Amino acid sequence: MASYVSKRSTLLSTIRLLTAVIVLTGAVLGQTDAGRSAATEPKNPLAGNLQAIQEGRSQFRFNCSMCHGVEAQGTQKAPSLTTGRWAHGGSDGELFRTIQHGVPGTLMPAQESILTETETWQVISYLRSLQKPATLAGDAARGRGVFIGDGNCLSCHMVNGHGGRLGPDLSRVGAERSAAYLAESIRQPSAHLAEGITEPNKDLAQKYQTVEVITAEGKRIVGVALSEDTFSLQMMGMDQQLHLFVKSEVREVVHKPRSLMPPYPPEMLSDRALQDLVAYLAGLRGQQ
Amino acid sequence: MKNKLLMLMMIVALGLIVQAQVTYERLLKAPVAEPQNWLTVSGGYNGQRFSPLQQINTGNVQELAPQWILQTGVMGKFEATPLVVDGVMYVTAQEDTAFAVDARTGRPIWKYVRAVPEDVQPCCGHVNRGFAMLGDRLFLATLDAHVVALDSRTGNVIWDTEAADYRQGYTFTVAPLAVKDKIIVGVSGGEYGVRGFIDAYDAGTGKRAWRFYTVPHPGEPGFDTWKGDGWKRGGAPAWITGSYDPELNLVYWATGNPSPSNYGGDRAGDNLYSNSVLALDADTGKLKWYFQFTPHDLHDWDATEVPVLLNAMLDGKPRKLLVHANRNGFFYVLDRSNGKFLFAKAFAQQTWAKGIRPDGRPELLSGSDPTAEGAKVCPGAIGATNFMSPSYSPQTGLFYVNVREQCDIFTTAPQVFHAGRAFLGSAYSMDADEKDWGALRAIEPTTGEIKWEFKHHSAPWAGTLATAGGLVFAGDIEGNLIAFDAHTGKALWHFETGSALYASPMTYSLNGRQYVAIASGQALVSFALPQRMFSKKESGR
Repeated sequence: MASYVSKRSTLLSTIRLLTAVIVLTGAVLGQTDAGRSAATEPKNPLAGNLQAIQEGRSQFRFNCSMCHGVEAQGTQKAPSLTTGRWAHGGSDGELFRTIQHGVPGTLMPAQESILTETETWQVISYLRSLQKPATLAGDAARGRGVFIGDGNCLSCHMVNGHGGRLGPDLSRVGAERSAAYLAESIRQPSAHLAEGITEPNKDLAQKYQTVEVITAEGKRIVGVALSEDTFSLQMMGMDQQLHLFVKSEVREVVHKPRSLMPPYPPEMLSDRALQDLVAYLAGLRGQQ
Repeated sequence: MKNKLLMLMMIVALGLIVQAQVTYERLLKAPVAEPQNWLTVSGGYNGQRFSPLQQINTGNVQELAPQWILQTGVMGKFEATPLVVDGVMYVTAQEDTAFAVDARTGRPIWKYVRAVPEDVQPCCGHVNRGFAMLGDRLFLATLDAHVVALDSRTGNVIWDTEAADYRQGYTFTVAPLAVKDKIIVGVSGGEYGVRGFIDAYDAGTGKRAWRFYTVPHPGEPGFDTWKGDGWKRGGAPAWITGSYDPELNLVYWATGNPSPSNYGGDRAGDNLYSNSVLALDADTGKLKWYFQFTPHDLHDWDATEVPVLLNAMLDGKPRKLLVHANRNGFFYVLDRSNGKFLFAKAFAQQTWAKGIRPDGRPELLSGSDPTAEGAKVCPGAIGATNFMSPSYSPQTGLFYVNVREQCDIFTTAPQVFHAGRAFLGSAYSMDADEKDWGALRAIEPTTGEIKWEFKHHSAPWAGTLATAGGLVFAGDIEGNLIAFDAHTGKALWHFETGSALYASPMTYSLNGRQYVAIASGQALVSFALPQRMFSKKESGR
C-alpha cells in the first residue's frame, strides 16, 4: 500500500455506525443545557479498560498518528493530545463527537467511516491514559511582558492579528502544544523543524527551515521557504516580504537544517522568565 | 445512389474514421508496428513503456506546449494511463469514471459513470489506473471488485462481472491486461487481510476463465511458508498490471505485501506468494515459476512494480530478462524463461539488507524489524519506488526509474482482525530530521550500474516514458512534467501542471503530430510542438 493513514476515504460510514452516531448526537442535542445532566451525557463504556487502552493505542497509531504523532505528542499538523487541555471539549461525549465528525474549519477529518463506535471509545480510553496535565509555575502576565518586551517575540510571531509573519502564528498555541514542547521550542528552536512532514502532506512543507539565496548579482537573501520545487523557490525573507526565484537564475540556494529563530539559552532568558513565558503561551487559545 | 456512395467515400477520405478493432495481433506488435497508438497501459506487452515516436526530440522539446486539457471533475489522485486507438483516447479517472476523448482536440465523446458503493474500502484513494482494450471493447476493473466491459463507441456496459465481495476489503485499482481472448486483472486489499488473486475473464462473455490465489491454502504448495493461522488473512494482492511474453506464453504478475503489512507475529515463514513475481500460463493460470523478492516482509514493500521484459547479452549469452526495480530498494534481474535469479543491486539508499545472496534471498541486517518504540529503516514504507511506471529505451539500453529517498520509523501496533476493516499492525512516520528527496535514475540493466541521475526536490510518485526522440519524460510531486536527455539526464524542458503527479506519461501521434499526455489532479493534459513548426503539407497528412 502507499500510505493508508493520510489517504483514507471520507466516505459515509456503515448504516450501523451512522445509526449509533445519530442516536448519540440526538441524545446530546435533545437536551437543553439546563436539562443536560451527568446521567444523559454519553459515558465511555470502556473507560479504564486495559484491553481497550491497548486496542485504542493500535487504532490511534494507524489512524491518527500521521498528524498527532505516534505517542500523541503533536506535530506541525495537529496538536498534542497529552496536555489535558481539549480545544473542542474534553467530556467523553465531546471527544466522541470530535473524533467521529471532525472539526470543521481545521484539518481534523471525520472518522465516522474509519472508526466504529467501539473503536472510538477505545481510542478515547487510550487518550485518557496519556494525560499529563502540566502544573504551570509561571506567571502568565509577566510572561506576556517578556513576549512583547525583551523577548522581541512579536517581531516574528503573530498573536491574534498583531505581530510578524516569519514564524508560526501563536494565537492558539496553548491549545495545540504541551508546556514541555513550548519550553523546548524556546530553548532549542531547531528541535522540531521537520516532524510530521511526509508526502502527501506537502501542504505543510518545512516552513521554518532557513533558506539562503545568493542572487546572480551576489546579493544574499535569508528567510524561510514557503514553497519550493526542483526549479523554483518562493520564500519569505527576513524583511517579511515575499521573494520569488527561478533557481537557474540565481547563483546558489542553500538550505540550512536550523530554524531562523535564535535559541534563548538561560543566560538570555532565565528559567523563571521561561516559565512565565510558557505560562503565557499555554493560555493562548485563539480569540475568544 | 451512386452520388450518395461517392459522398460517403469522400467523407471517409476527409474525416477520421475510427477503426477501433484492437485485435490480439495488433497488441502483439505494439508499439513498434503502430507507434501512433498506445494500446496497453504500458504501451506494449513487454512493459517497456518505450515509444518509437521521435518527432519530439532533444533538439525541439523546449517548444513543447499544452494543446488541450480534459477536466474530469472527479477528485482524488489521477493515476491512470490513457489508451489511444486510431484517434480516440480512452481514459479512466477516479471513482471509476471513464471518458472517450477526441485525442486531437480533447473534446469528450462519451462519459461512463459508475455508482461506486459508499462503503468500498480502497486503502489509498478511489483510483483507477486505466483500461485494457480488445476488439471494440474496453475493460475496466472497479473499486467494488467488478470487471466491466464497455462498448468503445458508446461507453455502454456489455457485461459486468463481480470478482469478489468488496465488503470484505476486496477492491480493484489495476488496469487490466488483454491477452488473446482473455482479460487479466489482479486484486487490491493488502491492507484488509484479503486472500489475493489474479483472474482471467473471457472477453466475450465475462465468465471467469481462471484464478490464481496468491496465498496457498492447506494442502497446496507453499502453504508451509505460513506458520500459525496468518494465511487466513494473508493478503498478497496483485494491484499493478503485469507483462506478457508471447513466445513463452507467460504472464508476469507481481504481488504485494502479506497482511498485516508491518506485524509478522502471526505469520512466521516466507509467506508465499507475497512480494513475488509470478510467471503464469496465460491460457490456464498455472504457476510456471515464482521469485520472491522480500520474504516475510515487515515493511509494506509490495513488489507491485511493473516487470519489464527485455533481451540482452549477459555473461556472454543472449538472455531473456525480466528486470524489476523493487520497492525494497534493490534492482533485480531474472531469467524470465525459468525465474532464475541472475543478480540484484541497490538503486536507492537501503539499511535493511547486507545484500542479495546468490540464491536471491536478502542477507538481513539486524535492527530493521518494527518495534514498539520504533526502528528507523530505509527505504520507508512507500518504498524506493512504487506503482509509478519505469521505462526502458532500446535506443540507449538504459532503464529509467523515478526513485524515492525517504526513510521511516516503523512501530508495531498488533491488531485484532475484523473482515473488511483495515489491518496493518503498525504505524510508520517519517524521520523528523530528514527531508525526503528523490531522483530519476538511469540504470544499465545488465550490470545494475546507475549511469546518471537527476535529483528531484522531493520524493516523486509519477512514472516515466522513454521515446526514440532520445527523451525520457518523468513527473515530480510538485507537479512538474519534465523532459530529459535520455543519454545524459539533462533536464531539457518542464511544465508545472498544477497538481502533484501520480500518473505516468504516455505518447501518441495524430495527423502527423506527436503528443505527450499525463494525468494531473482532475485534468488530463496533452502536449505537442506548436503547429507552426510543421509545414502545411506535413500537418495535413
